[in-house]
Amino acid sequence: MLEGVNRIGMHEWEVPVGYVAGMRVPGRFFLSESLGKTLEPGAIQQLANVATLPGILKNSLAMPDIHWGYGFPIGGVAAFSVDDGIISPGGVGFDINCGVRLLATPLLYKDVAGRRDLIDELFRTVPTGVGAKGALKVSPRVLESMMITGARWAVRAGYGNERDLMRCEEEGFMKAADIQAVSAKAKQRGIPQGGTLGSGNHFLEIQIVREIFNPSAAKAFGLALGQVCCMIHCGSRGLGHQVCTDHLKILESATKKYHITIPDRQLACAPITSPEGISYFGAMAAAANYAWANRQMISHTTRQVLSKMFSIEYEDMPLIYDVAHNVAKMEEHIMDGKRMNVCVHRKGATRAFGPGSKDIPPELNSFGQPVIIPGSMGTSSFVLHGTQLAMDRTFGSTCHGAGRIMSRTQAKKDLSGREIMANLLKEGIIVRAHSENAIVDEAPEVYKPSDEVVNVVHEVGISRLVARLAPIGVIKG
Amino acid sequence: MRMSFEEISHTADVKIRVRAPTLEALFSETLKALMQVMYGPNLNGDSLRKIQIESDDYEALLADFLSEVLFISEVESLVFSEASVRIDGYSLNAELTGEPFSLIRHSGGTEVKGISYSGLAIKCEAKGYMLDIIFDV
Repeated sequence: MLEGVNRIGMHEWEVPVGYVAGMRVPGRFFLSESLGKTLEPGAIQQLANVATLPGILKNSLAMPDIHWGYGFPIGGVAAFSVDDGIISPGGVGFDINCGVRLLATPLLYKDVAGRRDLIDELFRTVPTGVGAKGALKVSPRVLESMMITGARWAVRAGYGNERDLMRCEEEGFMKAADIQAVSAKAKQRGIPQGGTLGSGNHFLEIQIVREIFNPSAAKAFGLALGQVCCMIHCGSRGLGHQVCTDHLKILESATKKYHITIPDRQLACAPITSPEGISYFGAMAAAANYAWANRQMISHTTRQVLSKMFSIEYEDMPLIYDVAHNVAKMEEHIMDGKRMNVCVHRKGATRAFGPGSKDIPPELNSFGQPVIIPGSMGTSSFVLHGTQLAMDRTFGSTCHGAGRIMSRTQAKKDLSGREIMANLLKEGIIVRAHSENAIVDEAPEVYKPSDEVVNVVHEVGISRLVARLAPIGVIKG
Repeated sequence: MRMSFEEISHTADVKIRVRAPTLEALFSETLKALMQVMYGPNLNGDSLRKIQIESDDYEALLADFLSEVLFISEVESLVFSEASVRIDGYSLNAELTGEPFSLIRHSGGTEVKGISYSGLAIKCEAKGYMLDIIFDV
């Protein structure tokens, strides 16, 4: 592990105050010895930088998918006191409410094995890639509804059912959304992109439940061995990117106005209760809601395709759960035995609330919140459940994915899109994408092994394994 | 010094190193890098688009310029190949040339979500200017 970092547990490491000047609290991250081999000094520097921000509580945290980002590291979690803490777009990222959802189906592996026509049809109907536009004509009024009530708007507009909302974090929308704080430019970008997947690491996958670790939780969540599921990974598209760009600019001035010293310009921030902080939070919530509406619309298209191709009922494809992994939330947490309102930033980290939380659907309350961790293309994804230990240690947070270990430049040098596709096909995985580059960028080799990442959070106990799903078909941007 | 840009290793995002003899050339070369990352190498065309930006310093001027190009490129479905840039203080005027987005010719890249300030510093060297910039993808 890196110099200056102390081991404090089997998979737990501390970055002491003083690692960078001005740290208010220590940094803490969860990582196995073997995953530590690919840890970049830049990521730890960023973890330490976050610890310098005003009002930070307990620790600047990072999950085992930690890697070098901008502002916060990817995998970073930090909670700030609502009274004297800050809010920063650098702790959320450009893709506000990038997240994952998992749909169940009544189908089994034998029904979909080798069905290239299914993957082709999904690739044809779900808009993907750079420059893609949605099939739905969104009026400015509809866009406002998407930003105010997110997935609820989508369900009311006919893109799903009421039960879906119970299975979304925040029930599909953040009530703090303020559409006045969203610029005309952001709105302009949002109009043509409703129901589009995007590019980069976003995907839609047909997966099979291959392993059950916790039968009672799996049953309650709605998962059974051999079952076909569909995983959707995307975010708030150009609208969210523009909200981040616009508010970074505003918050950069605010950082100076409120005399906040920051070690990295991408950590521009403002007090949570300042007009600038409130405005960013309202705009971020509106973008988050757009993302929930977006995932709901893509779910609808997917259900229609599956329903038509396999003669199954729309209602027989329930949503297991939907999580946000790039977001800031106002939450109540217990600090030194007292309830306290805090602003939790999760940048490439997933909420993992434990059993008994009022924010979990009643039928899942005794198990903890479902946590969905996507694997990289061709590797397993996992469903876990949140734990009390996460509430105690990480403000109810866990990892969000596999975490990159190879740069795109290296991937282009070492790998070929055709070979990757051929290798995946040998394993029974069909891939569709607009370009070979998109496949090389997201090859299984460029990510940490997803099972190693989830094993760390499972062993630490900040979430626990429920099921493993393996892909048989992927569509990418 | 010749104008050039190269992608340098960055795990999560795209990091570009740009060198140019003048500040103006540095900006236009960074724009080309951004377009290549997003749309691949097949860039040309003669559509004209003008941009005017004012900021507080050169780094912000560059980030704002590129963010504006991202916005225009997305909402107007335009792909730019060249920029003629004039900088006066912290004010920029640019004339961009490009062409409409084509699914066939421009699908070789990846979407850039934003221009990061992390580590962004424009350096004046003996023979010109250089910078490293991270595009969030």
